[in-house]
Amino acid sequence: MREPLVQSAPLLTRITITPIIDVALVLVIILLITAPMLSVADLDVDLPYARSQDQDKTGYVSITLAGDGQLAIDEQKLAGLDEIVPQLRDRLRATGKDQLMVVVRADAGLPHATVRRVLDAARAGGASRLGIATNQTEVSLP
Amino acid sequence: MKAFKAFRWNRTPDENSTLSRINMTPLTDVSLVLVVILLLTTPLAFESSFGIGRTDADSASDSEPTPAQRLRVDILSDNEVRVDDMVVSVRALPAIIATLLATTESKEIAVHCADLVSHGTFVQVLDITKLSGATNIAVAGN
Repeated sequence: MREPLVQSAPLLTRITITPIIDVALVLVIILLITAPMLSVADLDVDLPYARSQDQDKTGYVSITLAGDGQLAIDEQKLAGLDEIVPQLRDRLRATGKDQLMVVVRADAGLPHATVRRVLDAARAGGASRLGIATNQTEVSLP
Repeated sequence: MKAFKAFRWNRTPDENSTLSRINMTPLTDVSLVLVVILLLTTPLAFESSFGIGRTDADSASDSEPTPAQRLRVDILSDNEVRVDDMVVSVRALPAIIATLLATTESKEIAVHCADLVSHGTFVQVLDITKLSGATNIAVAGN
């Protein structure tokens, strides 16, 4: 075998993987923290504003009721109100927690009768602790 | 010496300096990912909720206040609320609720809302009752 005529400089043969590991670990930590927050449906909901809140921010099941009437439980969209009961039963059974909070995220512009039907369906589905989602504000409401 | 040279970055033929620039790419990656995640989760971070009870007979126990001991609030429209037998505006509600709650032992309020009242007004009244000192809010069905 012939030797090359021009001797080239030694190349950088190792890739520095430390920054990649750094990025990956940071992403994993961020995803672990934000995953519970993202388990809500991507529906257009204008939540009502409120100044008060309950301190209990442990896990919960969310039922979303959009302004156009679309329904979802956690991130799964539902075809109608009658699907709430079986879906909620399944989810509560899967978590194994009887006292899990069920939070209703309803649009502020909806009539109360519509929201009450969802609250009733949630109770029928086994929700023992019910909550209403709000947007937190410090401003005094009119 | 040969091994040392192999790990130098940004070498130019005439330059004998060692590592002269910090690699900014991983830092930029992490920063951009953080910005995107913050943009996605900021609206959810400000979301809160408060718990509601029920006034149905099947949920009542000996330790709970009887309906007569509860302060009853009826939301008649988006502007009018009846507290016991007084019809007042939503604006005047905080002072009235605080006064009435100061005279009752049980700080429980039963809220009844008319069908056509918006969910936003319903939550606003619940918020006012909480801020006025109610410890338990029960929502009455129809």
